[in-house]
Amino acid sequence: MVGTFLTLLAVLLLIASFMRGDFALTLIYLVVGSLAAGMWWCYRALAQVKAKRRFNTHAFLGEKVKIHLQLENKGWLPLPWLELRETLPVALAGPRSFQTATNLGPRAEAQFEYVIEARKRGYYPIGPLSVSTGDILGLSESLQGKSPAEHLVVYPRIIPFTSLDIPSLSPQGALRHTLPLFEDPTRVFGKRGYVYGDSLRRIDWKSSASAGRLQVKLFEPSIALETFVVLNLNAEDYHYRSRIDATELAIVIAASVSNWIVGKKQMVGMMVNGRDPLAADSRPQSIPPRKGKRHMMRLLETLARIETIDDSALVPLIQQQRYQLAWGTTLIVITGRAGDDLLDELYQARRWGQNSVLILAGRDIPDQDARQRAKFFGIPVVSIASERDLDIWAQKAKHP
Amino acid sequence: MNSQARSNALGNERVFRIISYILVFLMLICVIMAASALLHNVIPAWPSGIMAGVMLLVLIDRLYTYPRFKSLVLFSGEWAATFGAQWVVLVIFVRLLLSYANGLDAFVTDMQLFAHGDLESFFSPEFVVTLFLAILAWYLPGQFLELLDEIGLDQAVALHDASIPVQSGVVPVQQRLVGLIFNLGIILVLVTALASLNLGAILSSSPGSFRVDPNRFSTGEAGVLLYFLFGLALLAQGRLISLQTRWNIQRIPISSDNLAKRWGLYSLLFLFLLILAVSLLPTGDSLGIFSTLGTLFGFLLSVVLFVGHLLVVIVAVLFSLPFLLFGRLPPIPFGLPPAPELPPPPVESPLGAGSSAAWILIRSILLWGSLILIIVFSLLHFIRQHDELLAALRKAPILHWLILAWEWLRRNVGRTKEGLSRALADGWQSIVARLEKRRLLPPAGWISLRALDPRRRIYFFYLAMLHHSDKQGLRRKPSQTPSEYAVTLERGLPSASEDIDSITQAFVEARYSRRAVNSGEADLVKAIWGRIRRALQNRFGTARPGKK
Repeated sequence: MVGTFLTLLAVLLLIASFMRGDFALTLIYLVVGSLAAGMWWCYRALAQVKAKRRFNTHAFLGEKVKIHLQLENKGWLPLPWLELRETLPVALAGPRSFQTATNLGPRAEAQFEYVIEARKRGYYPIGPLSVSTGDILGLSESLQGKSPAEHLVVYPRIIPFTSLDIPSLSPQGALRHTLPLFEDPTRVFGKRGYVYGDSLRRIDWKSSASAGRLQVKLFEPSIALETFVVLNLNAEDYHYRSRIDATELAIVIAASVSNWIVGKKQMVGMMVNGRDPLAADSRPQSIPPRKGKRHMMRLLETLARIETIDDSALVPLIQQQRYQLAWGTTLIVITGRAGDDLLDELYQARRWGQNSVLILAGRDIPDQDARQRAKFFGIPVVSIASERDLDIWAQKAKHP
Repeated sequence: MNSQARSNALGNERVFRIISYILVFLMLICVIMAASALLHNVIPAWPSGIMAGVMLLVLIDRLYTYPRFKSLVLFSGEWAATFGAQWVVLVIFVRLLLSYANGLDAFVTDMQLFAHGDLESFFSPEFVVTLFLAILAWYLPGQFLELLDEIGLDQAVALHDASIPVQSGVVPVQQRLVGLIFNLGIILVLVTALASLNLGAILSSSPGSFRVDPNRFSTGEAGVLLYFLFGLALLAQGRLISLQTRWNIQRIPISSDNLAKRWGLYSLLFLFLLILAVSLLPTGDSLGIFSTLGTLFGFLLSVVLFVGHLLVVIVAVLFSLPFLLFGRLPPIPFGLPPAPELPPPPVESPLGAGSSAAWILIRSILLWGSLILIIVFSLLHFIRQHDELLAALRKAPILHWLILAWEWLRRNVGRTKEGLSRALADGWQSIVARLEKRRLLPPAGWISLRALDPRRRIYFFYLAMLHHSDKQGLRRKPSQTPSEYAVTLERGLPSASEDIDSITQAFVEARYSRRAVNSGEADLVKAIWGRIRRALQNRFGTARPGKK
């Protein structure tokens, strides 16, 4: 095209110089003007187009997310055609992405809406939106502008538990316990007559006065379940055949356990050795134990974004973290494989005054050996091969 | 395929077809006009009008029968029969028409000759040329319509073509249409230029033969201009069709209901504005640019002709050598061509009676500017299209130096600009200060706080503090700076010392810094002043009984 254009221009210039008439020069203006004006129009108009998205940036699994796309032409030059292509993750939108063709008048705006389904946990880019346009005559190539991507967080699946058997050594919490060692003076559940040896502090003076003999208060034992979930996403610690499913399962376990603990108004923290796309060095920050729904959402957000990593050993991370945790904290370690070094570290934690529970996630785990060694160290081990096993575990805890 | 998109495309197909055919018809009429003008110029004796009429007839026939021909398989029996019948009729018709054009007697004589099988008189030169032009008039619309069908005028053809894997190096259809229009345009421009020249004078090499009347805008030239305008309109329509076809193929839904209508509107608007701009741009009074260029090209042409003539003479001499050796006359006479002379300086046409020198200067500047812009634009466009050229240019040391020089220049200009703006701002400040004569607020009369800008509102509150303090016997000495006075005032009003500090600080900033003051800050100072006023009133209240 350029060759033809330049030839025409050269011919016209030659004719203009030989004939000195208006005709050739008028033609030069016409031809060059059509190309230049078309390109200028196209550049100028595209620069004035602004795209905006509105959607819920967080979604639970299975939720449908409506994305409103607003396209606005802020200038006075109309856009005769616009081709919009939104790049969407296959996991959410399938093979068909959002694309449409339209036009925009001066100072006009267009609204579009499409729906994606949160089918899989993750941190997904919505966009970038590619906006193509071109000159009305098709003399120059199309221009393309890009509107940056925004992100959607899809939380992992949460399996609701009614009960879980997680040991704790922290007394005076909010959870009832069977061991009288952990009696909570704020939880009075009855009274009895004084016997020799009862502490004077336990005497209920009002009841004693009305009964005419000394009465002592009976306290309900309780524990505080301060928990720290350690999620191992080191790819090598999962069997290669079921690595993807097993790591996803590990994340579901971490989310479900955390949810249960937060539901019980207890503190839960988390450490993950995966890759966080939002973290500065791609390493997620350890989240200290806290209570509450807001804290739970923070945990879920981390779990939504997290991805597996290579060559990131878990044991040194636990070593670093362990000293910052309170006495009596329960460490719930979710991993695909438990080696000697991990069991040794958990044993050290136990000696330090912290409980440990080892959860082996995924199929293809040769767990007999690990179980024996864990039993030797006094560490409870739970093997969960599927989400169904999680329910079974919860049922066992309810009816031991 | 998206059903809505497909229905849109099919719904527009009929309208597109009608418009496309009309545009192709109009463009080719312009071609016929140019061809007719050239014929008339070269051989005035021939019936150029009738020849143009024949071309027009063939054009109409071609446009009408194109859909039927398209449905036939090329070189099939049916195609051959249809094609043959059409052309036999056409040939006979053309021949009879040409005979009739010379008068009834000539027509009768021709008929008798044909009856006797005199083929020589049948294939007369004008008939051969007319036949050639008729073939051209039959071929060209076909080219345009085939391309339009391929672009998407015929959705079946377009979708079929799209299903074939695209080979590398195949030029997109829209670009081929652009190429066809521009290439035909180049030929048309040349033909029109030839038609405008006095070819007889050129052949006799008389001086000034290349000159035409600059004010004359011949029919052929108008035709070429119209050809390009219709061509651009056809391109606009082709673009829409090609886009719709592409969206159909890629299953991209069209979310706008009025895309085609708006497209038509914008195309017309674009072409109208283009015509307006072109008609407003200067074309004559070029301060010698074209006369210089013309002289230069003329001289170059005469040098080329001289060299060519010289070569012919050398060949003729070599060929005549054996004849000269045997003492015979050479069969080809030869003589040295006259050497090309330096052309005389171009003579500009005298100024028009109604045009002033200033107006001509303005037009010339505009013309030069437009031409320079066109050349720069073309070069930039060319470079953008050739990435390898751009890469090579970037590596070239000269360009590197040029870029460095440009950056240096830009830096210096930036510095100068900054210095200049600072000097201007300082000057303005000093002028304002002088005009104000150290008066910070408007003189006398009521002051409306709302009418004041935030900076002046801060002045107001500070001056109000001075005024009220003065009444309380805490007068500011003329020699005291705001900070010094603040210390004096704090001694008298220890309860408001923090507020006094704040208001003084705010006043100093507002008065002596260039920082923008917003209304929020003014509101804050107002609140501070309120507290100071209360403190002053309390002092007054406690001091008065004492006085009594």
